[in-house]
Amino acid sequence: MAIDKEELKQKIIEFATKKAKHKSKMYIKDLYKAAPDASPRQVKNAANELVREGKLEFFSSGSTTMYGVPGFGKSEKDQFGELEEE
Amino acid sequence: MDLKELYGDNPGFDISDKVAQPYDPNLAETLYDPKKPMANRITDIGPPFYEQFFPPVIKNNYGKWKSHEIIEPGIIKYVSETGDTCFVVRCGTPRIITTDLIREFCDIADKYCEGCVRWTTRNNVEFMTDSEDKLRALVDDIKGRKHPGGSYKLPIGGTGACVTNIVHTQGWIHCHTPATDSSGVVKAVMDDLFEYFESMTLPAQVRIALACCLNMCGAVHCSDIAILGVHRKPPFIEDDRIMGVCEIPLAVAACPLGAIRPVTIEQDGKKIKTVRVKNERCMFCGNCYTMCPAMPLADEEGDGIGLLVGGKISNRISAPKFSKFVVPFLPNEPPRWPSTVKTIRKILETYAEGARKYERLGDWAERIGWERFFEKCEIPFTDKSIDDYRLAYDTYHTSTLFKWSVHTDNL
Amino acid sequence: MADVKKHDTPMCDDLKKGPWPSFVDDIEQKGLKGKQDCLDLLGQLELSYVHKETHWKHGGIVGVFGYGGGVIGRYSDVPDKFPTIAHFHTMRVNQPASKFYSSAYLRKVCDMWDHRGSGMTNFHGSTGDMILLGTTTDQLEPVFYDLTHQMSVDLGGSGSNLRTPACCIGKARCEWSCLDTQQICYDLTQTYQDELHRPAFPYKFKFKVSGCPNDCVAAIARSCCSIIGTWRDDIRIDQEAVKAYMGGEIKPNGGAFSGRDWGPFDIQKEVIDLCPSECMWMDGDELKIDNRECTRCMHCINVMPEALRPGTDTGATILCGAKAPILDGAQMSTLAIPFIRMEAPYDEFKDFVDKIWDWWMELGKNRERFGELIQRKSLQEFLRIADLKPIPQMVKEPRSNPYVFWQESEVEGGWERDIKAFRARHAA
Repeated sequence: MAIDKEELKQKIIEFATKKAKHKSKMYIKDLYKAAPDASPRQVKNAANELVREGKLEFFSSGSTTMYGVPGFGKSEKDQFGELEEE
Repeated sequence: MDLKELYGDNPGFDISDKVAQPYDPNLAETLYDPKKPMANRITDIGPPFYEQFFPPVIKNNYGKWKSHEIIEPGIIKYVSETGDTCFVVRCGTPRIITTDLIREFCDIADKYCEGCVRWTTRNNVEFMTDSEDKLRALVDDIKGRKHPGGSYKLPIGGTGACVTNIVHTQGWIHCHTPATDSSGVVKAVMDDLFEYFESMTLPAQVRIALACCLNMCGAVHCSDIAILGVHRKPPFIEDDRIMGVCEIPLAVAACPLGAIRPVTIEQDGKKIKTVRVKNERCMFCGNCYTMCPAMPLADEEGDGIGLLVGGKISNRISAPKFSKFVVPFLPNEPPRWPSTVKTIRKILETYAEGARKYERLGDWAERIGWERFFEKCEIPFTDKSIDDYRLAYDTYHTSTLFKWSVHTDNL
Repeated sequence: MADVKKHDTPMCDDLKKGPWPSFVDDIEQKGLKGKQDCLDLLGQLELSYVHKETHWKHGGIVGVFGYGGGVIGRYSDVPDKFPTIAHFHTMRVNQPASKFYSSAYLRKVCDMWDHRGSGMTNFHGSTGDMILLGTTTDQLEPVFYDLTHQMSVDLGGSGSNLRTPACCIGKARCEWSCLDTQQICYDLTQTYQDELHRPAFPYKFKFKVSGCPNDCVAAIARSCCSIIGTWRDDIRIDQEAVKAYMGGEIKPNGGAFSGRDWGPFDIQKEVIDLCPSECMWMDGDELKIDNRECTRCMHCINVMPEALRPGTDTGATILCGAKAPILDGAQMSTLAIPFIRMEAPYDEFKDFVDKIWDWWMELGKNRERFGELIQRKSLQEFLRIADLKPIPQMVKEPRSNPYVFWQESEVEGGWERDIKAFRARHAA
C-alpha cells in the first residue's frame, strides 16, 4: 500500500515519544504499532531515516538493537560516567 | 560474469592505491564534523573485494585444484590441474593478538609469501608459498619464533586427525557476562594437549570449542568437546542503585523467561522502585545485567565450567549432531584450570584408545553406548545430564536395549 | 619509550609457560613498548583470576552515526585501578571473504589501531569479523572515517541486524568446493548492506557459505540460512588412482591419519563398509558407485581425494534455522531447498531470502530467531510462504502423530455444511 513516508515518520516519532516516557527503548516490532497499515519494511526504513535525522537513536544490547528517543532514559553518561580529560 | 563488471563500482574493489599510501593519523579529524555528521561520510561499502588479497598461485588456480596431501603435520601441499603447487603452513594463534604480532605475521608474509597471509575459521593463520625451497626456509623461520617466556609464536600443526586450534569467546578479558575465562582456559588446555596439535595420531579430528557462558556467542554446541562457562546463581539486585542506572521496564523486559517483575519497596522510610527475580525460573543468561548494570551476575563460587561432548558439523558418514552435556560443573581454577584440563585429557585419551579409524568422538560414544562412555571416562552421571527442555523426551531411552555398566552393577 | 606501569600479575605470568602461544607475553610485550592499555588489560585480568569474576560492564553504544551495529560498548568496573581501559569498546570490521589479507592492508589497519585504539585485536570474532578491541567513545567516528576513507572497509554487523556473512576457503584452495564461496559471501554482503548496518529484524540473522558437505565454516550449526555446496551428477572416479590407493602408493585421506600405524589401507573396511548408504562396491578391480543412492557425505572423497572428486553439475543445498541454545535449545538448520544454482546475480536465491525475511519481519516476536519462528509456526507454514514444495527429503521420517491441521481449501466441499441435510440423514 502506498504510504506517505513523511506521514509515516511523523506517526512513528509521535508513537515513540509517547512510549518513551514509560520505557525509553523499543524494539522495531513495537514501532510497527505506530502505523498498522504500513509494512514492516516501510516502518523499518522510516525509523532508520529518523535515526539519520537525529530524531531517534539506536541502543544496542549487543545481541539486539533497540530504538530510543534522544533525551529519554538513562544515558551512557548516567550509567558509566565520563572519561576524565587527560 | 566478469567480476569487475559486477563489483567494480565499489570503492573496495581495488584498494591498491589506498594501501600504498601510509596511514594518515590526522585525516579523520579534517573530515568528520560532529555538528554535520553526514558530511564526508562513506557508508555501506562492505569489505574490500577478496580477490585482490589472493597470492598469485591462488588466483591463477582458482577452481582448478585437483588434490592435496598433508606432507607433515601442519604442512599441506595442494596440486592444481595446471601443474602448479601451493604449500600451506598452518599455525595456531591465541586469537587475541596485538597489532605487533600481526605485523610480525606480515613480515613473514613479505619475506616468503608475496605479502599474503590468511586466517582459518578456527583461528589458525596460514602462510602460503609456491615452491618447496621457500617452504623450508619459511618453516625454519617460523619454528624459531618464540615469545620471551618460551612459548611458540606460531606452532605448526592443526591438520588431519589432530586436536586443532580451539575456537573460543572472550571470557574475563573482555566480556561482561562470562562464567569463566576464555584465553586462560584455552592456553591451559592447549599446553596440555599440544602433542595432539602437532601430530595426527587420533582416530579422527577432534574439534574443541569454548564459550564463556550459556548464551554461546561462540556457537560450541556441535563440537567434539565443548567447554562451557556455567552460571549457577541468579543476579544480584542493588535496590539502592537500580533507579539511578536502570530503567525498570527495560530490566523486566530483558528476561527471556519473564522471571523479573517490578516492585516497590520501602527503605529508610522512602519508597523505592526496583525489581525482584523469581529465582527458580532464572536460566542464568545475564540478559538482565546487559540491560541493567545494577543486576550483576558474576560469582566466584557459582560460576564454573561444564563440558559437552560428541557433537560434529561435518556430514561425513553420520549426520551433524549436537554435543551432549556430560560434566555439569567444574570450578574455576585460574590460571591453569587443572580439573578441566584433566577431565578433557581423560575423555580424549579414552576416545583415542577405543575409537575406530575415521570414527568421531560422538559416533564412538554412540557405538559403545553412553552408559559405557561415562564408565570408561570415569565421569559420574548425574541428573544434570538428563534433558528437561523442549524435545527432552526425544533423548529418553524407551527400549530395553541398554548395556550393563558400573551404573547397574550394584542395583 | 613512553612511561608505562606494569602491574603485579603472577597468575597471568604463569600463562607465559608452556608451548602454546602465550597471549600474556604478546600483550605484555606490547604494553612494555608503550601501550599502557595492554598492561592495564593484564592487570584487570589478574584481578579476575583473583576474584574469579569478570570486571567488565556492558554499554548500549551501537556505533557510528546512522548505523545500528558494529560497535559493542564495554566499560571496566575497576576504572580507578586501570584508567586506560575504563572505556574499552569493541569495533567489528568486515573481514574479506575467506580471510585472505595483504600485508600492506593489515599494516595499515594496525597503524590505525595503534593510533586510535589499544592495539589489541581478535583475529577473528566467532562470526568472522576482524575485532578491534578497546577504544573510547570519542574515537569511534574517527576510526570509522579512517576505515572507510583510507582502507575502503566497512563495519560488520551486531544487534538485530544481518550479521557479517562468512564462508569457507572454497575454490580458492580446495578441490572439493562446489560453490564460489567467496563470491557468494561478497555478493550477499554487498547486496544486503542496509540490513547489515541498520536493524531490520526481530533478532540477528546469519548467512554462512560452505563449499561442500564437510561444512568447514559450520554453516549448518550456526547460520539462519546455510548455503552448502553439493552436486547432482556422478562422483568422478579415476580408477588408476583407486588402484594406487589399494596398492598403498598414495596415503589415504591426504595423509591426515599418518601419525599412527593403522595397518595397510583396506578399501573394503575403510571406504565401502563405512559408506552410510552402502552404495559402493568393487567389481573386479574397479570401484563402482550407485550415485542415485549416494547421500554425498564426502567420506569416500575425503579418504581418496586423488581418485574421487565431486561431480560437475554443482549448486547449493539451502538449509534454514540454526542457532545456539538461547532460548530453549540449540537447533541445526533444516533442509529447505535441496538444489539451487548459485550463479551471480543469484536472483532466485535472493527471491527466497526476500520471502523468508518478509515473513519473519511480520510474524517474528522480539528476540525470536528465524529458526524458532519455523518451530513456532511449523515447517509447513515456512514451506507455504517460501513457495517450496514439500518433499520427503525434508524430514528424517514422516510424522507419527495424526492430528493434521487440514486447511479448509484442501478438503472437498469446504467446511460450510448444511445441518438440515445432515439431520435428514441422522436423527438428532
